[in-house]
Amino acid sequence: MREITYAEAIREAMSQEMRANQDVFILGEDIGIYGGAFGVTNGMIEEFGPERVRNTPISEAAISGCAVGAAMTGMRPILELQFSDFVTIAMDNIVNQAAKMRYMFGGKAKVPVVIRTPGGSGAGFAAQHSQSLEAWMAHIPGLKVVQPSTPYDAKGLLKAAINDDNPVMFYEHKMLYGVKGDVPEETYEIPLGKADIKKEGKDVTIVATAMMVHKSMEAAKLLEEEGISVEVIDPRTLVPLDEETILHSVRKTGRVIVVYEAVKRGGYGAEIASMIGESDVFDYLDAPIMRLGGRAVPMPYNAFLEQKAVPQVEDIIQACKTIMNK
Amino acid sequence: MATKVVMPKLGATMEQGTIVNWFVKVGDRVEYGEPLVEVLTDKVNIEVEAEMDGILLKTCFEADEVVQVHDVIAYIGEEGEVIEDAEGGMLQQASALSKSGAQETAEKFVSKKQPETEPQTKIRRTPAARKLAKENSLSLETVQGTGPKGRIQKADIEEHLRYSLQKTKATPLAQKIAHSNRLDLSQIQGSGINGKIVRDDVLKYANVEKDVSVHAVNKTAFTGMRKVIADRMVQSAYTAPHVTLTSEIDMTNCVNMRKELLPIIEKQNGYRLSFNEIIVKAVAHTLQNHPAINVSLQDDEIIHYSTVNIGFAVAIPNGLVVPVVKNANQKGLAAITEECKTLGSLAREGRLLPDHMKDGTFTISNLGMYAVDAFTPIINQPEAAILGVGRIQEKPMAVNGEIKLRSMMALSLSFDHRIVDGAPAAEFLTDVKDALENPYKLIV
Repeated sequence: MREITYAEAIREAMSQEMRANQDVFILGEDIGIYGGAFGVTNGMIEEFGPERVRNTPISEAAISGCAVGAAMTGMRPILELQFSDFVTIAMDNIVNQAAKMRYMFGGKAKVPVVIRTPGGSGAGFAAQHSQSLEAWMAHIPGLKVVQPSTPYDAKGLLKAAINDDNPVMFYEHKMLYGVKGDVPEETYEIPLGKADIKKEGKDVTIVATAMMVHKSMEAAKLLEEEGISVEVIDPRTLVPLDEETILHSVRKTGRVIVVYEAVKRGGYGAEIASMIGESDVFDYLDAPIMRLGGRAVPMPYNAFLEQKAVPQVEDIIQACKTIMNK
Repeated sequence: MATKVVMPKLGATMEQGTIVNWFVKVGDRVEYGEPLVEVLTDKVNIEVEAEMDGILLKTCFEADEVVQVHDVIAYIGEEGEVIEDAEGGMLQQASALSKSGAQETAEKFVSKKQPETEPQTKIRRTPAARKLAKENSLSLETVQGTGPKGRIQKADIEEHLRYSLQKTKATPLAQKIAHSNRLDLSQIQGSGINGKIVRDDVLKYANVEKDVSVHAVNKTAFTGMRKVIADRMVQSAYTAPHVTLTSEIDMTNCVNMRKELLPIIEKQNGYRLSFNEIIVKAVAHTLQNHPAINVSLQDDEIIHYSTVNIGFAVAIPNGLVVPVVKNANQKGLAAITEECKTLGSLAREGRLLPDHMKDGTFTISNLGMYAVDAFTPIINQPEAAILGVGRIQEKPMAVNGEIKLRSMMALSLSFDHRIVDGAPAAEFLTDVKDALENPYKLIV
């Protein structure tokens, strides 16, 4: 199959949807000729013109309101927020408006907006440009939250997000944009709320998101050599969450570690861990549920400290050994 | 600050001691010099005294426990002091500074905060382990956990089930035999397919059990004095080539002398003279003229002694001890009698001090009170020789062409042929014989 990058897969999903549906358009800061801060929209303005690839002022409050309003009036906008940290400025439009309208208007209004935004650390962008704030949005009823980890998932999930009639937060990871993977050229949709078993195993279940999927896969490979068989599950969408796939795996292995890059305290991994603990899979647990998350510090600029602030492959290996009493 | 009390090293060879009895209860006040604990060493019981005033905060060992020397056995300190990490011997105080009222309160608070180790009422187990145990009607109390803090894991239950399943597999005949003989099948090793217990296994087990019930009456730990005696006997018997010379002594003159001296010595110090003391005196007297026998082999050196210190073996309930009469060659019979009697009763009461048993240069082992004529004593290393004493018996002897009844006694001299040769040993024994047959020579 053809290999393309995560960024290219996202661009392809948007382009294919825009070709198929005149209502779909993109807007954001510097997404035109500049191609966006991470080059995701490179060349799109040449194909679709400034009417459908709209450069906006640097005002997340204004552009988020614009996107939500456009969605309510019948368009299917895709808003690019340059860094997911800036969601704080767009918060009212997303949380109090987009998330509530369809419900409060008794279904008469729909808000089919996709807000694409890169999160995560690892690029040396320091405390205001490296956060993983997806838990905030997952907390709000009325919002769907997507967090793809591979080019294949990114393309299929973005198509599903664009075609969804509800507001969708689409969290990309800035360190994944250059990662390559097999992606079909034709369009395809991955339904929201369907987890993916990235690797099968029998001793420990790791539920990991975004960048942590890749780190967990690396850890699993090394642990395999030591005789510990790890199953890696990527929920892919936090809301809705595919509980069944996770619980089925934990029932099988009896041990689970939830790995996420966001600050451990109050992160979405806590929700996954609680969900498992409350379920009837509890009876199959052979060790306390573990969480690996980021440290509760503003993301350091120093590259070494930045690494230390979030789980690394070695931490995951260690956690697996601990949970196995090894 | 809490002070450690350690197992004292009460002798050069002492490596461990047994706690016999604590005189002070934990929480009670103890004063400097007050007996704290009784300790059984290789050879003796010793009362260990408190070396400071304070509260006995903690004892680390119970009676009958064997402790290496210098290991911490107790802590003495002030009330409310916290002993942390008692295992490793580290301790911390709630406050190291002088005690103001507030600090004292703080100390008490801290010590109260230390939770007593609660009796484990709940069994630590994972949900998966509990579920599997329940499905198999297995009581968790019978399962040993291998997880953190002894947590029972699923694998522990599986192991237990596999083990008990495997163990109880038996043929109907084997089950019947086991049942009628009230044997526990789980204790029997099966020799059939997949470890199945067959008839022969049960019968074999039944026989073994019978054997065991006949022979094993009691088991005692091979430690303490028993072990020390064993080690020293083995060491002596297998390193020193023993040669034993025997000689029969006419003790008639000694018997008469004892009769005459007995009331005199008894009047002087209240102790009754016995043949043992006369033999000690005679041996000491002879030994000072035979420096070649008064030696010991230590490492690569032969040590020649100028003093003559005679040890004599005393049987005590669980073994034997050898108290030593120092400078016996310079002491009179009255003094030797008093010393031997005193040491003997201390030994039997288990109250000999290590000093009482130190520095012997020659040992006498007297079995004369039993129906023993002669024997081959094992040398008390590192000494060069030991004298075994048999009983005194009247025998018909040829004296000046006539047959007369004489009081006869056999002496057996075992010597270490590495450092003493036959001729000097024989000369020594001959002189001892001469001294005992002509006891007035001892006066000279």
